[in-house]
Amino acid sequence: NFCVIFITFEGFLSRAGEANFPLAKMAAQEVQPSETIAKLKSESEALKTKLEEERAKLHDVELHQVAEKVDPLGQFVMKTRRTLKGHGNKVLCMDWCKDKRRIVSSSQDGKVIVWDAFTTNKEHAVTMPCTWVMACAYAPSGCAVACGGLDNKCSVYPLSLDKNENLAAKKKSVAMHTNYLSACSFTNSDMQILTSSGDGTCALWDVESGQLLQSFHGHAADVLCLDLAPSETGNTFVSGGCDKKANVWDMRSGQCIQSFETHESDINSVRYYPSGDAFASGSDDATCRLYDLRADREVAIYSKESIIFGASSVDFSLSGRLLFGGYNDYTINVWDVLKGTRVSILFGHENRVSTLRVSPDGTAFCSGSWDHTLRVRE
Amino acid sequence: MSNNMAKIADARKTVEQLKLEVNIDRMMVSKAAAELMSYCETHAKEDPLVTPVPSSENPFREKKIFCAIL
Repeated sequence: NFCVIFITFEGFLSRAGEANFPLAKMAAQEVQPSETIAKLKSESEALKTKLEEERAKLHDVELHQVAEKVDPLGQFVMKTRRTLKGHGNKVLCMDWCKDKRRIVSSSQDGKVIVWDAFTTNKEHAVTMPCTWVMACAYAPSGCAVACGGLDNKCSVYPLSLDKNENLAAKKKSVAMHTNYLSACSFTNSDMQILTSSGDGTCALWDVESGQLLQSFHGHAADVLCLDLAPSETGNTFVSGGCDKKANVWDMRSGQCIQSFETHESDINSVRYYPSGDAFASGSDDATCRLYDLRADREVAIYSKESIIFGASSVDFSLSGRLLFGGYNDYTINVWDVLKGTRVSILFGHENRVSTLRVSPDGTAFCSGSWDHTLRVRE
Repeated sequence: MSNNMAKIADARKTVEQLKLEVNIDRMMVSKAAAELMSYCETHAKEDPLVTPVPSSENPFREKKIFCAIL
């Protein structure tokens, strides 16, 4: 409501001109507003410079230099062990169940499917009332899935043991944004969901009541991805957006704790390193990067001149040694996180790789593509 | 002027946010990198994609079945 007042006043003011307002109305300011803005802007710039200087002081060595003494990885042969076919259009998102065998996936045609990846059987299917279901997530209990997209909402569907039951009947609307839902994730329990949206915000919701528990403002454009810190690390999460920034947030206070702006284009995917001390990002600038949270800076860039298409999705292997990146040129590049080199390139998908997750026990990883399929590889 | 007040409020928020970010505790990259490496090394054996597990333990691999033709 406050914003609405500003909008209606602005039209009036631009005609009236600032000079017509008595100085007394410039509440508690002794200088002209334009001087204050200029002063604050230059203070901002000075602080940004100071931030870079402080970060640079600690930049004594590169990660790949420290990693020279680490044994190189062996030859990698990863084969597709399962191909999940059934979506009628682009697969946009997928998530593993904690049982390490079930997968939920969502697609452009509005379908959300739960698969048994061992047998490739479809266990559940739901048709959403919207197209472009860009986000889906499995609940920690394995008893529900969350999804959303162009409907601007995140809805939770409890999974019934009765395969014939109509899942749509039990649907619960949890999150409401003012633009598309780009990502969602349950927290440590089935009770709370974290969402990110094209409206530039992230939000934490109570599943039962649908109540907004905390909102996270700071991105200057669409937020495209998020990832929760591993539970041992505490209550933080990282988000990435079209403003090229990756922000780390305190879930309780809503405060942005750290911010990284080294990518040259949209950040499509962010994922924590398994220890929680770092996170990786994948971007439309065709690079993946590693940011260390305690050094407060980017510590590695995973790129090659031959890779010119954006990275849509990233995930680490269990030990954090490997980083898998799904790209818009239909390939998956596997990177040695420490040495910064590519150890393997995987083909197979016939269109963009849009989503990629390593299984909870690290035995395999699944990729979803605009070619309508999902592939499980190891 | 309301437009300016909004801009001032935003600019103030940006300054406060940057102050917070400048003042956090930081670690030298050499130390942070060493810890990342040590995590990888400690967990390498448990990582099935780095240290391959036998086919019998991998749920996605075909199990070898030996048939005897009598």
